[in-house]
Amino acid sequence: MDPAESPLPRVDSRSLDLRLLQRSCATCGLSQLCLPASIGGEDLTRLDRVVQAKRPLEREQTLYGAGQPFHSLYVVRSGAFKTYSVDNEGETQVLGFHLPGEIMGLDAIASGRHECSAEALDRASVCEVPFDKLEEIARELPGLQQQLLRVISREIQHDQRHLVMIGRKLALERLAIFLHSLSQRLERVRRDPHVIVLPMSRRDLANYLGLAIETVSRLFSRLGELGVISVERKTVRILDPAKLRELAGEVRRGRIAGDSR
Amino acid sequence: MAPSHPVEFDAALLARYDVTGPRYTSYPTAPFFREDFGEREYRARALATNEDPIPRPLSLYVHLPFCESPCFYCGCTRFITRDHGNAARYLDRLEREVTLQGALFDPDRSVVQLHLGGGTPNFLSLAELERLLRALRTTFRLDSGEARDFSIELDPRHVAPGDLAALAGLGFNRVSLGVQDFDEAVQQAINRIQPRAQTEDAVAAAREAGMRSVNLDLIYGLPRQRPDTFAKTLEGVLAIRPERIALYAYAHLPERFKAQRQIAAADLPEPAVKLELLGSAIRALTGAGYCYIGMDHFALPADPLARALEAGTLQRNFQGYTTHGQCDLVGFGASAIGHVDDCYAQNARDLADYYGALEAGRLPVVRGLVLDEDDRIRAEIIQSVMCRNALDYGAIEVRFGIRFEERFARELASLRPLADDGLIVTGERGFTVTPRGRLLLRVVAMAFDASAQHAGEAPAWAGRKPARPHFSRVI
Repeated sequence: MDPAESPLPRVDSRSLDLRLLQRSCATCGLSQLCLPASIGGEDLTRLDRVVQAKRPLEREQTLYGAGQPFHSLYVVRSGAFKTYSVDNEGETQVLGFHLPGEIMGLDAIASGRHECSAEALDRASVCEVPFDKLEEIARELPGLQQQLLRVISREIQHDQRHLVMIGRKLALERLAIFLHSLSQRLERVRRDPHVIVLPMSRRDLANYLGLAIETVSRLFSRLGELGVISVERKTVRILDPAKLRELAGEVRRGRIAGDSR
Repeated sequence: MAPSHPVEFDAALLARYDVTGPRYTSYPTAPFFREDFGEREYRARALATNEDPIPRPLSLYVHLPFCESPCFYCGCTRFITRDHGNAARYLDRLEREVTLQGALFDPDRSVVQLHLGGGTPNFLSLAELERLLRALRTTFRLDSGEARDFSIELDPRHVAPGDLAALAGLGFNRVSLGVQDFDEAVQQAINRIQPRAQTEDAVAAAREAGMRSVNLDLIYGLPRQRPDTFAKTLEGVLAIRPERIALYAYAHLPERFKAQRQIAAADLPEPAVKLELLGSAIRALTGAGYCYIGMDHFALPADPLARALEAGTLQRNFQGYTTHGQCDLVGFGASAIGHVDDCYAQNARDLADYYGALEAGRLPVVRGLVLDEDDRIRAEIIQSVMCRNALDYGAIEVRFGIRFEERFARELASLRPLADDGLIVTGERGFTVTPRGRLLLRVVAMAFDASAQHAGEAPAWAGRKPARPHFSRVI
């Protein structure tokens, strides 16, 4: 079930129209993952008023570019995004992939400018949360304040794990960790965790995992040969979830480990 | 060992179903390609194929359209010339096309199938063929493993000693030789004098050079062909025992193919004789141990095609039946057709247009088609009929999330007369083609062709691979 099954028109945050109420954070299937996680009732309505549903973005359309002034955080409602930066030599580094319920733009809070660019991998929609208004409400709502910190912490945790993975893990383990993470993230938005339609290209995936593109393909084939997954075009089916967890190193480190972004 | 896909020749049944129909080397078929599909659409689709976690391997087809003299039966995209300077000029453009196409596919994608067709590919000199292969090798990762399928069509009349060893050196491991008929009277009538020894020598050289497979092309229904003389031709072919044999029907359409006007209609065998030619050929070939693969193709039981038929992994694409169906197919040269992702793309057929686009730095794609969901379902059904001689409704439902009987009620109704005539046997949730029906595969496939209403009007089957006559008729 897609929590944001239809594209939303841009709505004025101050108007109290019916559609806004229907589309409010209270009814959004993603709210458990998103900022409103620990607030409710009246408070939620206050937050609701500042959240703007943006017009859907098309594939390859940029949500924000590196260097642009920071005004808002964005929550993915549907589709997927990649964030990336480009260095002085023009080399692209893919920093992350963002699925429904996940927040983008947190890295810009410190400098007031976006540190990276965010691009839609397919047709996608986001909720825009103007940061000044969020701060305002958060000052009065300790629950929201706390949730914001948790979200930021989760983000840091994710990035740290990625660094460790890139630094140490064997190639096959990296891919297993990645697929396991995607599977968990799908489960969180109540989708079938065993059918992953990869939104990103092989090139982006290779870049993110720090592997050559041909290595990525070889590893997918290898996991297929091991009976862990089957691959048809961009659809990956997890046939042996236990084995995938094991390959991702979950067993050794216990249930909490892995990429539980 | 009895083949699990036997074939049965039933003259009366074949005569009844002698209708026009496509050969389904693609679905939708080439006449339905659209002019509003061009380079831009092709590029986007081709680039998208790199995005899969395991991109498909590549199959390359290169069309080499020149011939020194016209074979009168031929209805294909080819240019008759004795000026070999044409080859070098063509290669100049082909090299540009290879570079432009190469930029669209990630360099790690290996080429597991390569086919040079024509025209007459060996109109090009060895040095020119070497130049072509060098261009391909510089741009694409040509597989060097045993499983690769690198083939070239050869006119035995232009094969010199040493050619086949040189071709093997270039990486080719399969050859297809045009024969048509060994009988001299027939050869005169089709303007293709080719002594039997020439063919035998070329085959011997191919085997000497280590080619894994030899295919011989035959045609029945040619002028002055008689059952007794054709039987001798078949004897000669069976003595050579090529791994594969293609047996095409000659379709006389002089109003469409100019060269065919040189053939006197009075010389053509009567329909009943034509059927007899086919029947005796099928008996001779299967009697000698060949498996009937489907459509016009026969292969020895150990050949990969025969094994793929047995295993249910056979595929059909623009190169006919193949064991490499799961490739993105890239076409090069005038009139060539590619099939990448879910689209077909055809190059300009006219040399001036083909050259013009490449000189301007553009890919010469002039027509094509993006398959929609309905096309994809029907293509899958037709593949199943053509390659597995059966259809499992449940498999299509699982794959596409449809209710088969609801979606294809009209089609299933149109199958009923075919079942009554014994072409197919229907089961609870599927059907299989009977041995009698196997020679009428495309009649069965046509039931699922959304454009089959066109069946009666002989559309211009402008296939890209007309190195042989166009067949508008089933028989």
